Amino acid sequence: MPSALGSNVALGATTAQTSPRRLVAIGNLLGFQLPYLMPKETGRGYETTRLLKPLSGIREDMTLYSGLDHDVKGGHFAVHSFLSGILQMDAKGRPDGNISLDQFAAEHIRGATRFPTLNLGSEGGIHGGCMMSWTRSGTRVPPIFGPRALFDRLFVKESANELAGARDRLALQGSILDAMTRDAHALQRRLDREDRDKLDEYLTSVREVEQQIQLGEQWVDVDKPEAPLGRPADRNMVEDLPLIYDLMALALQTDSTRILTLEIGGDFMPSHLGIKGGYHGLSHHGKKQDAINKLLVLEEYQLKHFARFVAKLKTIHETDVTLLDQTSVVFGSGMANGNTHSNYNLPVILAGGGRRHGEYRDFHRDGERQRLCNLFVTLLQDFGLEVDQFGNSNGALV
Amino acid sequence: MGRGQQFWRSVFAAGTIAAALLPERVHAEHPGEVFLDRYCLDCHDSLSEKGDQNFESLFFPVEDLGGLIETQAIIDQLNLGTMPPRDADQPTEAERLAAVASLTDEAVAARERFRDTGGQTTLRRLNEREYLNTVEALFFRRVDTLDPTATFPTDQTDHHLDTIGDTLVTSSFLLDNFFGAADQIVEAALNPAKRPEVRSWRFDKDFHQGQELSYSHREVYNYRYLCVYEVPNTVNHEGGYAGLEAFPEGVHAAGEYEVKVLAQAMHRDTHYDPEIFQMDFDEPFRLGVVSGDARVGKLHHPQPIEPKLAETIIADGEPEYYTMRVWLEAGQQPRFIFPNGMANCRQAFAKLARVYKKEWPKSDRFHRDGGIVQARRVVLEHGKMPHIRIHEVEIRGPLYDEWPPAPQREILGGGDFTSEHRRTVLERFANRAYRRSPLAGEVDRLVAVANARIESGQTPRGATLDAIKASLCSPSFLYLAEPGEKTGEKLSAVDLATRLSYFVWAAPPDQQLRKLAESGDLSKPATLKRELRRLLDDPRSEGFYEGFLDSWLNLRALGGMPPSRTDAAPYYHNDLESAMKEEAQAFTRHLIESDGSILDFLDADYSFVNHNLAKLYRIDFPYAVERREEFLPVSWENSKRGGLLGMAGVLTVSANGIETSPVTRGVYVLENLLGLPTPPPPDEVPEIEPDTRGTSTIRDELEKHRAVKTCAECHRRIDPPGFALEHFDPIGRWRDTYPAPRGKPRPSIDASGTAPDGSEFNGISEFRQYLLTQSEPFARHLTERLLAYGTGRNIGAVDRGEVDSIVSKVSQSDWGMQTLLEQVVLSEIFRSR
Repeated sequence: MPSALGSNVALGATTAQTSPRRLVAIGNLLGFQLPYLMPKETGRGYETTRLLKPLSGIREDMTLYSGLDHDVKGGHFAVHSFLSGILQMDAKGRPDGNISLDQFAAEHIRGATRFPTLNLGSEGGIHGGCMMSWTRSGTRVPPIFGPRALFDRLFVKESANELAGARDRLALQGSILDAMTRDAHALQRRLDREDRDKLDEYLTSVREVEQQIQLGEQWVDVDKPEAPLGRPADRNMVEDLPLIYDLMALALQTDSTRILTLEIGGDFMPSHLGIKGGYHGLSHHGKKQDAINKLLVLEEYQLKHFARFVAKLKTIHETDVTLLDQTSVVFGSGMANGNTHSNYNLPVILAGGGRRHGEYRDFHRDGERQRLCNLFVTLLQDFGLEVDQFGNSNGALV
Repeated sequence: MGRGQQFWRSVFAAGTIAAALLPERVHAEHPGEVFLDRYCLDCHDSLSEKGDQNFESLFFPVEDLGGLIETQAIIDQLNLGTMPPRDADQPTEAERLAAVASLTDEAVAARERFRDTGGQTTLRRLNEREYLNTVEALFFRRVDTLDPTATFPTDQTDHHLDTIGDTLVTSSFLLDNFFGAADQIVEAALNPAKRPEVRSWRFDKDFHQGQELSYSHREVYNYRYLCVYEVPNTVNHEGGYAGLEAFPEGVHAAGEYEVKVLAQAMHRDTHYDPEIFQMDFDEPFRLGVVSGDARVGKLHHPQPIEPKLAETIIADGEPEYYTMRVWLEAGQQPRFIFPNGMANCRQAFAKLARVYKKEWPKSDRFHRDGGIVQARRVVLEHGKMPHIRIHEVEIRGPLYDEWPPAPQREILGGGDFTSEHRRTVLERFANRAYRRSPLAGEVDRLVAVANARIESGQTPRGATLDAIKASLCSPSFLYLAEPGEKTGEKLSAVDLATRLSYFVWAAPPDQQLRKLAESGDLSKPATLKRELRRLLDDPRSEGFYEGFLDSWLNLRALGGMPPSRTDAAPYYHNDLESAMKEEAQAFTRHLIESDGSILDFLDADYSFVNHNLAKLYRIDFPYAVERREEFLPVSWENSKRGGLLGMAGVLTVSANGIETSPVTRGVYVLENLLGLPTPPPPDEVPEIEPDTRGTSTIRDELEKHRAVKTCAECHRRIDPPGFALEHFDPIGRWRDTYPAPRGKPRPSIDASGTAPDGSEFNGISEFRQYLLTQSEPFARHLTERLLAYGTGRNIGAVDRGEVDSIVSKVSQSDWGMQTLLEQVVLSEIFRSR
C-alpha cells in the first residue's frame, strides 16, 4: 500500500505561529501478554523481550511502564476506565464524572481546530468494546469506524448546497434549542427539587449543544485541507490499521484536530492475520501455550504499527521541532491480563511529547504502585493545561 | 437507651479506646440489641467489620435510612439462617425467632417514620427502546427500517434495569442525536408531499456477489444466478447475503414494494455428509428478505440496519415465481438471506472439494494448492451444492393504497398550512407527543419555531415539519414527567396512564387509556385492573416481555459476550441468541396468561422451545416441520432442566461466553433470583486464575481460594449455587464431564454443595428443591423488580411493608403471576409519584 504521507503533502491549515501541542491515546480491548512484554532489567539497559522487538526502532523515543493502574476491578467491565481512571458506575457525584483524558483536554481548546477530538476505532467487542472516550456527563463518545469515514471527515469538502444545508440545519437547531430551553423552564416550575435537578442535565446539554453550534458555524466557512491520497475503501480493522495510523498523522499534521484516540476492539479479527479462533476466546488462554502464541502474533502486529506511527511522526517537521516532539502518544490497555481479566498493572507505553525517553520504569517492583492518572496529569500539563489533578490522581508522575 | 451509653458506643466506634477497656454492653435493653451483642458483635464490630458490616453504631430506634437498611439486612440473614456462621456460637431457634420478630417490628416502625423521605421516582427519560416504540406510535409507521436510534449512546442500566430515571442521563451528545433522529423521522414519515411515481426494475443476469464468490460464479454460471448458501451470521460472510450489485442507488422513494423472484431450492436431497452443512435437510428451504444499502457497506456483509422484511418457502424442483411485499426506505434495496441455510459455506466448499474428490472428473482434479478459490469452482461445477438459486428479481413500487399515506393524513390533516392550520396541526401533535394536553406556552413556542422558519425562507409546510421536529426535542416528549409537590403523592390519572402503558407496552398510552385517564376513571382500582388485562392482551405487551426479562434476568447482555464460534457453533447458525430470549418470554407469557405459579420459575416440568432450542437441549421437537420456528410447549422427561435455571439464556448470560464459573453463576443466582446482593471481592485478594490445562478443576481452584479466610466468608454463600449449575456448559448444553484438555482425560464434574442454611444438595435437581424453600425471598425479589421496572426507581427499605403485603396476597392465591402483576399495579407504590 502506498504511504499516505508523501514528502510533498499539500498542507491545509497549519497557520499557528508556534507549533501546537497534541495528544494521542491508543488502547486495545484485551491487554498484552505481560510476561512477554516486560523486561527484567529496569532503567536504560533493559533487555529486548519478544514483544519489545517490534518497538526497537523507537526505543529512544518511548518509555515503558509497569505498576501503573487505576486501582479498579471489573475485568471487561473496567476496560472502559483506561483513559478516565473512573468506572462509569462510580462517575455520578464526582465533579468531573468519568471524563476521559481526550475529552478533558478538548474542553480547554474548544474552537481551535475543526474537530475538538477525533475518536477512532472499532465499536464492537465484548461488553461494548474498549469504550475509551467519555464526556463529563458520563456519556460515551462512539468512535468513527474505518479509514473511509475518517478520510471523509478530514478531507471531503461539502458542496455549496451541502454547506447551505449545514448552515440551515444549524439555524433550525438554534431556534429549536431556544424554544426547548423555555419549555424546560416552564416544566421546571411544575417539578419538585429532585426532578428539577434532573432536568438541569437537559438544560446543561442544551447549552453545550449551543456552544457546539457556534463552533460549527465558525468552521463551516473554512475550507478543509487538500487530500494527499485517494478515498480509501474499508477492509477490516487488521488490514486497515496502518492506513488509520497514516490518516491520524495527517489529521495532526493538518491541524484538523489536536487530540486523537484509537480503540482496537472486537473487530480486530485474528482470522485476518490467518489465525484461527476468536480474540476473546484466545485471551482466556488458560495458560495453553498454543493460544498464547497466537495472542503474541496479534499483539506483535499491533505494536509494530504503533511503532511505525511514532516513527512517522518523527519524520514530520514543524518549524524547528518534529511532530513527535509536540505529540504525547500513550499506548496501552485497560486490561492487564486477559486470562484473569485483571485490571491491575496495566501495560502502558508513552512516546514523544518532547520528554526524555529510553527507559523501562517499574513501579510494580519498587512496591510503589502508581496511579495511571498521575501520568495523565503530566500529559495534560505537557499539553499546556494548568492542572494538578485528573481522575483519581494523587500527584503527578515525573 | 441513655445518652451515656450512646457516648460509649460512639467512642468505641471511633476506635480511640481499646476494646478491652470497654464495659460490656450489659445495658442493652432492646431485645434486638441484646441479640446483636450476644451473637453478632464478635465479628461485626469496628475492629473486624466482617463482610463490611459494623453494627456497633446501630441503635434502636434507628435514626436514619442507613440504620434501617442495616436492620433489614440482619433480618434477611437471620431468616435465611446464613448468620451467625456455622462455626460461631449459635442462638437457639427461639432466640433467633424472637430477634427476627423484634427487629421486624423495629423496621416496620422505622419505615413509617421515614415514609416521607426517599421512595420517589426521579424524572425519567425515555430509554432507547421506549423512544423507538414511541415514535413508531406517533408516526403510524414502522421505524426499525430507519433506526433513528442507531447512533444513540447505550443507555446506562441500574442492576440491569434500563428504566431507572436516576440512571438515565442526558448529554449534549445524546441531545444532538435526538435532534438528528427527529429530523430523520419527520422527513421520512411526512415527505414527500407528492405521490412518488411507481417504477420497476428487473434483474436477470450479471449477478455479482462480492469478491469471494466471484471467480467460481463467473467460471461456472457466467454470473447467471444469484445464490444464497449459508445463514447470515457467519465469520466469513461470503454466501449469506445476496444483494443486487447492479442496483447500488436503491429505490427512489420510501414505501411498499412488490418483490417478485424466480427461484428454486437446489439439492435439498443431498447425498453428502450432512455434518458438513449442519443444517436440517428435512425442512423446506426458507428465503428471507432484508434491506440493504450500498452506501452503508458491502451488500454481502451484515449491515447495521437490516430488519427482516419478508420470508417465503422455496420449493424444490423447477424454479417458481414468488411475490413478496416489503417496505424499503429511499436508497435501500432488498437483499436475500437463507435463515435455515448451512452454517458456513466457505468451510463446506473446502471440505466437499477434498472429501468427495473421487466424484470430480479426472481431468479436473481439485489440486490442494488451488485452495478455496478452486474448491468453490470444482464443487459448483461438478458437485451438488445445496443452496437457493434465484434466476430473476423484479422490483416494483412504491405502492400506496391511498395518498396521502397514513402519517401525513393523520398528522397533517387536509390543510393548506395557513397560520391557523399550522397551530391546529402542532397542537394536535403536541397532545400526542407529550401524552397530555399541552401547556399554554408549549404550543406557542412550536408555532414560533414554525414562524421563524418561514421568515428564514422555508415553505409553510416545511416550517410546520420543522416545528414537529422541535416537539420531539422537548423535555415534555423526552421525559415521563410526573409533576407534583410532595413525595408519595398519588399520581394524576393522566400520569398513571403513562406509567401503565410504558410498564406493559414500553409505548405511549392509546386513545382508550387516554380517555379513561382524562375522565379520571382510571384511578378506580377496578378500571385500572381491567386496563392492565387489556394492555396485556394487546400484541404491544411484547414490550413488557422483552423489556422486563432483559432487565430482570439481564438477557440483554446475551449479545455482549459472544461464545466461542468453534465450541458453541449452533449459537450462531441456529440463531440461538434470540431463541434463548424467546424461551424466557414465552414461559413468562404462559404464567401471566394462565395465572400460573411464579414458583414455576424455580422449578417446572415444562418449557417452550423452537426446533433449534430443542436440538440444543437434545430433546425431540414433537411438532410438524412447518411449526419449527414457533415456541411450543415441551415437557421435561428428566429432572435436568426445569424453571429458569434450566433455560439456556440464563445459563449463557451467567457464564462469560467461553467458560463457566461457579462464582459468576453463583452471584447471578443470588442477585437475580433471591435478591441477595453480593459484595465485591475485598482488596488484596489473589485472583482466581482460570487454568484449563487440566491440572486442576475450577472447584479445586475455588477450594484453594476459600482456604483464605476473607474469601471464605462470601464464597461459602456464592459458590454453591454455581456448583449446582456446573453440568451446564457456557451456552447451557448439558455435559457429563468438563471438556478434555489436550491429551488428558476429561475431568469429572462435582455438582454438590451446601446451602448457607446447612442443607446439602447434589446436582441441579436437588438444588431446585432447595430453591423452593426460598419461595418468599424469591417472590419478594420478583415483586421488587417489577415495581422498580414499572415505576422507574429503586425499591428500598421504605417500601418493604408494601412489598411484603403484595407477597402475602400473592402467596394466598397460589403464587399466581397474573395476580402478582395486578397487585403490583394496584399498589400504592405504583400509583404514587
